[in-house]
Amino acid sequence: MSKRKLSGRGKKYMILLTAILTALFLFMGDRIVRYTSSNEFCYSCHAHPHAVESWRNSVHYDNRSGMYVQCGECHLPPPGNIRYLLAKAKHGANDVYHQIFTGPENVNWEAKKTVDRAVHFTYDESCIKCHQNLFPMQLSRDGQQAHLYYSQNEDELSCLNCHLHVGHYSDLVQEGIQFGVDVETEREIYTEPATVEVFENFTETIPGTAVDFDMIAISGGTFRMGSPENESFRNDDEGPVRDVEVSSFFMGRLEVSWDEFLAFYNQTAAEGRQDNIYATNLGEVDAITGPTPPWGLPDQGWGMGSRPAITMTWHAAETYCRWLSAITGKTYRLPTEAEWEYAARGGTTGPYFFEGDPRKFSSDRFWNRLFGTDTTVINTYVIYNENSEARTQLPGSVQPNPFGLEHVLGNVYEFTADWYAPDTYSLYPDGIVVNPTGPESGTERVIRGGSFNSDASDVRVAARSHTRHTQWQMTDPQIPKSVWWYTDTREVGFRVVCEWD
Amino acid sequence: MNQKSKALSRRKFIGDAAAISALGALGVGAVISSCSRRPEYRSPVFPDQAPDGPVLRAGVVGCGGRGTGAAINFLNAGPNLEIAALGDVFQHRLDRCRNELREKMNVEVADENCFTGMDAYRHVIDAGVDIVILCEPPHFRPQSFEYAVQARKHIFAEKPVGVDPVGVRSFMAAGKMAEAAGLNVAAGTQRRHQRDYVKTYEMVRNGEIGDLVSANCYWNQSKLWHVNRQPGWTDMEAMIRDWVNWTWLSGDHIVEQHVHNIDVVNWFFGKHPAKALGFGGRHRRPTGDQYDFFSIDYVFDDNRHMHSMCRQIDGCANNVSEMIFGTKGYTNGQNRIWDYDGNLIWEYEYPLGDDGQPMNRVAISPYDQTHINLVSAIRNGEYLNESQNVAESVMTAIMGRVSAYTGREVTWEEIMESSLSIGPDKLEMGPVDIAAVPPTPGTAPA
Repeated sequence: MSKRKLSGRGKKYMILLTAILTALFLFMGDRIVRYTSSNEFCYSCHAHPHAVESWRNSVHYDNRSGMYVQCGECHLPPPGNIRYLLAKAKHGANDVYHQIFTGPENVNWEAKKTVDRAVHFTYDESCIKCHQNLFPMQLSRDGQQAHLYYSQNEDELSCLNCHLHVGHYSDLVQEGIQFGVDVETEREIYTEPATVEVFENFTETIPGTAVDFDMIAISGGTFRMGSPENESFRNDDEGPVRDVEVSSFFMGRLEVSWDEFLAFYNQTAAEGRQDNIYATNLGEVDAITGPTPPWGLPDQGWGMGSRPAITMTWHAAETYCRWLSAITGKTYRLPTEAEWEYAARGGTTGPYFFEGDPRKFSSDRFWNRLFGTDTTVINTYVIYNENSEARTQLPGSVQPNPFGLEHVLGNVYEFTADWYAPDTYSLYPDGIVVNPTGPESGTERVIRGGSFNSDASDVRVAARSHTRHTQWQMTDPQIPKSVWWYTDTREVGFRVVCEWD
Repeated sequence: MNQKSKALSRRKFIGDAAAISALGALGVGAVISSCSRRPEYRSPVFPDQAPDGPVLRAGVVGCGGRGTGAAINFLNAGPNLEIAALGDVFQHRLDRCRNELREKMNVEVADENCFTGMDAYRHVIDAGVDIVILCEPPHFRPQSFEYAVQARKHIFAEKPVGVDPVGVRSFMAAGKMAEAAGLNVAAGTQRRHQRDYVKTYEMVRNGEIGDLVSANCYWNQSKLWHVNRQPGWTDMEAMIRDWVNWTWLSGDHIVEQHVHNIDVVNWFFGKHPAKALGFGGRHRRPTGDQYDFFSIDYVFDDNRHMHSMCRQIDGCANNVSEMIFGTKGYTNGQNRIWDYDGNLIWEYEYPLGDDGQPMNRVAISPYDQTHINLVSAIRNGEYLNESQNVAESVMTAIMGRVSAYTGREVTWEEIMESSLSIGPDKLEMGPVDIAAVPPTPGTAPA
């Protein structure tokens, strides 16, 4: 009798067996979940060479209380709900994938130390699970204001914005007070600016400083601005392609360096902060008032000197140009978007000023990622996400473009003078557009060229981007927020042009 | 299985069972709320008196009329409450308060616990008290509040709790520290402790006038008071004696006085406005640098409006009230609800007086009630902290004032991030470099 009913006793056994199996499963499951969240399990294959060492040197290990925080207590959500298991599954799958296909030696560990990456594998709710009291009595005045600000903007902010290095030690100290104070002054101090009488390359010398920089003479001409519809990764705001004529001008061979920007900072720095609402109209500063001290380290601890200056606001860059004009007696300013693209193209018409297809270079493409691709050409000319080690690089690290400009693509985004609009090109009058200056008004400025953090598709010469003023100041805990410094981007700097008439 | 692990697994089982029944309750709740429009809201029932308990000793900072009044309110709140220390900038003010307490309440404050001078607040807070009653001119409130929180005191803070964004933010942060440390904070926005208002709020919250649409609020009264400068007074002494006429000390009357009505609207709307555009001016004020009238259009983030007006001028029509409009009717916030045909559809039932007729006031004065609620919270181990509410309402009033002074629209974001800090750098008797000149809109820096 194959379809015999289970006897009462059999039923009981079945129930008991099911119960035992379920219990065993739950018990083992729990054990497994706990084991795979332990430090030992993390060490067993986490190949990041400095993870354990930097953790042992951080305040989450080395502190007066003698308590330490385990890997999973920050890098997973608090246990006890489905989010925890989902996060475990996600990170586990990710780790296995990279272990097999990428290999630890090819992982960009530097990049993972940055806030925008770190937020993907560090959980605010886990920070808050232990740090429940955001207003302890011992909290400093700055801390009070920062946490008050956080309590009003929790959705937009992460604990990491201010407390990036608490879990893994870094010698970058978030202290801006001494910023720019020690500038080497052993070199010759220039007393006169450069004299420019003919239209050729020259070296500007900043009076009262030991700082100089090269300017390239760029003869005016007509070019095709924007990208054709069949260009890979093209965005709609890059068209329609227009014939544009620009007049002759000089342009910095390099992006403005920290040496140059600090010359400005040291000569003009203001003591206090300017109040965004009540201060005089910022457009009408008579004596040039320069930046206030920044919060944190604008150079990100990467070093200053000839490295491009970054994280200043557009207002700060524009004020720099006015200051430079005033002390050199020339007319320095930010390039218009048209001047920038004309200079960056250097007479070429393709996606880059060198040979190559963005589709071949981009790591956004699955096949490229999986099988690799020959990036020799782009590596010769551009600092971008595949070769930058997540930071800006020094002059001489790549070849210049045909006009002699270095880093014009990649390294840092460069401010232009123009307001951003997605339909800028279509709004220009018919025919050849002469010296266009973009929309008359707007809320964000055009930035160009892509950065050390950009994919190959975003360092195309026609690719356009723009400032994100509010987002880039989200974590500035100063009240009011600085008009001079961004806290939440590391990718923006600028290049100057000098007028020739 | 030993005893311990048995107990543990039993607890875990109970925990799981509780979680399951909570889940069940949630499901039932969802079903119920899908039938009824919204869950019924019940206002807290205020006690007539604070419960008995170990002696609570209070110190008063700022012994003017309000400080003396608040001391008496505190003593009225229940048994075993003492005023143990007094502090004021001026001796004559302190003496008057001490006499009042002696005569009216039969309370004697010892000589060694009476402090005068600009730092009197520190001495009061450090005099071994449990509760600090802060009633000095508003400019000083953030500083003394923070000091009291750091000293782990429960606090009654009279409104307003600051005169500028920097001060109010400092108060907010200290209020959150108080919360973290379990220190109770009651505020002088006493309408939130006034039984008729609280009942009306309950009615409105339960949809009696529908969804809220807009609000008006008013504090139009005669001239308040002023003190003419006497020979021999320094600038600082003259200003503090005349403090309701100086913006750096009082915040101007929109902040100092009208904040009450603004607070009611914020309370009923459950949030603060997102921006303000207003105007104001000065016709007849004899001293100081303040305006004597304001009119502000406040706009909430969802584009609902609150109109606020306040005036301190003799011989004009007066009105101190709020009007809150909903989709189905409107209310004065205090005790009545009307529909749009003009019918009175609800009225607060006041207690009967000795003559058997309903009185025109609530059974317990809201000023006493505030202290009853504060002491009850301390003694019952409940928790009360009004610092965030009062700070937001004060900031709302400051946002309106700055708009009127400058003529510009001011957003909440701007005012919350503003570095505006008014008053002299040094708080000491002597010259003060602030002229008796009111701001001129369109030109004034702030």
